[in-house]
Amino acid sequence: MKNYDILVIGAGSIGLATAYEFAKRGLKVAVIDKEASPGQGENKSAIGGIRATHSDPSKIAISLKSIELVSSMQKKHGYNVQWKQGGYFYPVYTKADEITLKELLKIQHQLEVNISWISPKETETLIPGINTKNLRGGTYSPGDGSASPMMLADAYYQLSRKAGAEYFFRESVVDMKCDRTKINKVVTNKNEYSAGMIINCAGAYAKDIAKMSGEDIPVFPESHEAGITQPVKSFFDPMIVDIRPVAESQNYYFYQNREGQIIFCITPLPPISGTDRDSTSAFLPQVVKRMIEIYPRLRNLYVRRTWRGLYPMTPDGFPLVGMSNKMENNLLAVGMCGQGFMLGPGLGKLMAEYYIDNEIKHKYVFDGLNPYRKFVAEEKLK
Amino acid sequence: MRKLFDHPILQVKESELVHFLFNGEKYQGIKDQAVSSALIANNIHVFSHHHKNNAAQGIFCANGQCSHCTVLINGMPMKSCVTPLNEGMDIRRLEGLSELPIKDHELRDHRNIHHSCDVLVVGGGPSGLIAALELAEMDFKIILVDDKSNLGGKLLLQTHKFFGSKEDCYAGTRGHEIAKILENKIKAHKNIKIMCDTMVAGIFKDKKAGLFVENKAYHLVDFKGIIISTGARERSLIFPGNHLPGVYGAGAFQTLVNRDLVKSSDEIFIVGSGNVGLIAAYHALQAGIKVKGICDILPEPSAYKVHADKIKRMGVPLYMKHTILHAEGDDKLQKITIAKINDNNRPILETAKTFKVDTLLIAVGLAPIDSFFNMAEQFAFPTVKTGDADEIAEASSAMFGGHIAGLQMAKKLGKNIKIDEDLYRKAEILKSHPGNIYPKQNIPLTEKYQPMIHCLQEIPCNPCETICPVNAISLHKRKGNIMDVPEYHGDCIGCMKCVTICPGLAISLAKKISGTEAEIVLPYEFLVDFKAGKKLALCNINGDYLEDGEVLKIRFDKKTRTTLLSLRCSLKNAKIIAGIRIQDKQIIKAEKDASINYFPDNAIVCSCEMLTVKEVKDYILEHKVRDINQLKNIRVGMGACGGNNCSLLLPRIFKSMDIDFKDVYLPRPRPSSVEIPLQALINEEINES
Repeated sequence: MKNYDILVIGAGSIGLATAYEFAKRGLKVAVIDKEASPGQGENKSAIGGIRATHSDPSKIAISLKSIELVSSMQKKHGYNVQWKQGGYFYPVYTKADEITLKELLKIQHQLEVNISWISPKETETLIPGINTKNLRGGTYSPGDGSASPMMLADAYYQLSRKAGAEYFFRESVVDMKCDRTKINKVVTNKNEYSAGMIINCAGAYAKDIAKMSGEDIPVFPESHEAGITQPVKSFFDPMIVDIRPVAESQNYYFYQNREGQIIFCITPLPPISGTDRDSTSAFLPQVVKRMIEIYPRLRNLYVRRTWRGLYPMTPDGFPLVGMSNKMENNLLAVGMCGQGFMLGPGLGKLMAEYYIDNEIKHKYVFDGLNPYRKFVAEEKLK
Repeated sequence: MRKLFDHPILQVKESELVHFLFNGEKYQGIKDQAVSSALIANNIHVFSHHHKNNAAQGIFCANGQCSHCTVLINGMPMKSCVTPLNEGMDIRRLEGLSELPIKDHELRDHRNIHHSCDVLVVGGGPSGLIAALELAEMDFKIILVDDKSNLGGKLLLQTHKFFGSKEDCYAGTRGHEIAKILENKIKAHKNIKIMCDTMVAGIFKDKKAGLFVENKAYHLVDFKGIIISTGARERSLIFPGNHLPGVYGAGAFQTLVNRDLVKSSDEIFIVGSGNVGLIAAYHALQAGIKVKGICDILPEPSAYKVHADKIKRMGVPLYMKHTILHAEGDDKLQKITIAKINDNNRPILETAKTFKVDTLLIAVGLAPIDSFFNMAEQFAFPTVKTGDADEIAEASSAMFGGHIAGLQMAKKLGKNIKIDEDLYRKAEILKSHPGNIYPKQNIPLTEKYQPMIHCLQEIPCNPCETICPVNAISLHKRKGNIMDVPEYHGDCIGCMKCVTICPGLAISLAKKISGTEAEIVLPYEFLVDFKAGKKLALCNINGDYLEDGEVLKIRFDKKTRTTLLSLRCSLKNAKIIAGIRIQDKQIIKAEKDASINYFPDNAIVCSCEMLTVKEVKDYILEHKVRDINQLKNIRVGMGACGGNNCSLLLPRIFKSMDIDFKDVYLPRPRPSSVEIPLQALINEEINES
């Protein structure tokens, strides 16, 4: 049996950053993943947006930290992660949405998020050629941006290995041996591990992992579909998020990455629950129609490929982060609801500061994400 | 425009000429010809400059499988090899990343277009056509899609007569003629809907396929079963200069020369001594293009011996145990250098030879295009793959395989039929690699014509046996199937049918005309620009020059478009003369000094993203890569071809680093293979018809 201070289950968006932050503190860290290399689960399905424009203090704090870390990755550590500070833009076409977003602005301003309402005219300057018919304006947050999920995963992989973390790929957790208060042993298809702290960063499979220690957590994967185009010369900067639901889909969003490719994604209606990753014929015509409607200029772009990824959803749309109330050596960092990529860097750092360095000022962040909270509120900007 | 050349085999059709612009200058081309061919016909070989390193790019596959040939057409970046030329097209060289054409009008009229069928047949080459016919005969409703404008697949490029057996696969008939026969049958069938210029973009879980139609529309097709007859893609090769315009696949060359009748080159060299490479050499000679040589690291050609013999006789040297060192040129290939290899397959630089050529053909093998089959199987749809998509073999075998595939699909869809075991046995024989070589039969000369058979190796082929009206030729029963070599038994009536039909040009006739002289009859598939009395250089089976022979008579068989030449020669050589030299020794000479600039790490692995061997190796080493997915961090496989091409090269990179490729994790196949404009996906301004 191998012994570690920290055993991270899942080398994805959350696990990689977590492994780095914990290893950096001199702890002996191991990371297990069923895939063959880092970031090969949902991480690489992420489209790359990172925003602090959420509706709650916890995610805002985490994401602001993420932006700080990702934007300085190249300067500080020499890894190019394709960071682009293009901002986020939420166009608004209905009175109701205008009221909702303007209400949110107040909270966001209180939490010191750089975001403001812009007029249709300003929108046209920001996004040349956007369809301004019925456009009432929208919220624009220039501090937000995007990065390459694969390259960021690799950067954290390299950094954490340099800090001493060990990785075990193509290894699946098959069982846990527990007594009433502790996970004593994590059994994989290849080995056995014990650790002072076991961190569940298993994303879409977090529920299955938790079950092995007798814990039932409300994390339910949903399948979303995304696509990418050929690269063209840069012609707009922000991530555009259209939150209007229509007959067969909810919100959708797209942006142009540093390579010049447009990446897009849509939330199906009704949601497709489960872990099915197979493409359906509905996706492309559905998302494309909506994209051309809002931004006609996109009509001449070529779609290069599409893929599906899983959103580990929770009942209220907020993550579940905190110590297990059953197993004292089990930390849960799960249920990112499709935002693991943007939350990962900040969450890894804040978890290490809170749980290892006992940085008490972060208490409010983790209180907000308490896995055992009553799920009453609902995330307004899923 | 480089004029369409007169072709000894193909009939040059009257074509409608159209005008187009390239970088603002006016040119002429043939309507509906692939834009890539039209450009090359006008001596334009550089189609783009890459956005990463500004390297010039030309065609590679001319088959829609890579993205090298992308140009801007009316402002849109498009693969020129699958875009038909139209009057007034504004074509521009793509310089770096393209700029998005600005069309800001609101979304217009749009729709979804649906079809349904029993069986979707993907690929209208030899196997797909036969499979479609087989199923249509059993009353299944078929949709047959093909990415080209004409059905026939690679048959259209094959000007040579087919091997195999007459009853099973039209042996002895030229490939492009077989295509015509099959196309007519398909077109006449009420149960088959043909969709040309159509690419399958994806197969989806909900049992639909997405089709990209005529570069502008997107159709969804419901099907019960799907046949994958998508053929193969040409493997590329890693060597410095492999990305230069002028370095391309042998299949691309055949497309230019045989399908589009464009004399693409003046002087070529070929890497690869398989059937494809050697036939490409033959096709080049027929088009009046000089072939300076063929090299291969193998000790012996892997092609049928009759092909290799034929090529040697025509005066093309085969450099066996030689490798390509590098290709050089500024914006376009100018010269290539080859060298002998040692026992460890490393080049011996002292043996380097440089040849001035404008084109280097890569003919180092094919890889099945079967990702749609794998997807269909993963979704548990009734599916069958056939032809090269199943296993690389001759087109004769593909046709027979298509027949079986049709039956298999019918069975999968619930038809109560039994598939004869004999069919599978026959299919195996048609797929056979060449076998043993036997000594030549010694036939004493008489005053009457008798066949001299220069076909000594076991190959699946028997038209000489089936065509002989007096059964004077039959296969010498060793294996007891069509692999056996032919043998003469006497009683030849001199009808010359065997000479005309032999796909390997490996039968001549000979008779004594005096005590010292003989008359021989040889097949000749080149333009006849001479009259009786002309002296031609005659060679033995290996291409060694024997003597000059005087042309006595020229016969042209219209039906097979084959010329038969009667020649006077010496009695002593009459039995061993096997062919006529086409190329003079001067033509094939190497340059006086070899050019050696050998930096193998500079070769390009991923040409979509312009990544060198060094960049890939360094990353593998530094990051301990054991998952191909990790290479996406440096954009390997992220380009337009979806990793189709580099994925075939990566095993060699790992091997060269002493990493067992079995330990390397391979990514899932990609669901989409063709790039489609957003507008086309919703059929904006496209009518349902």
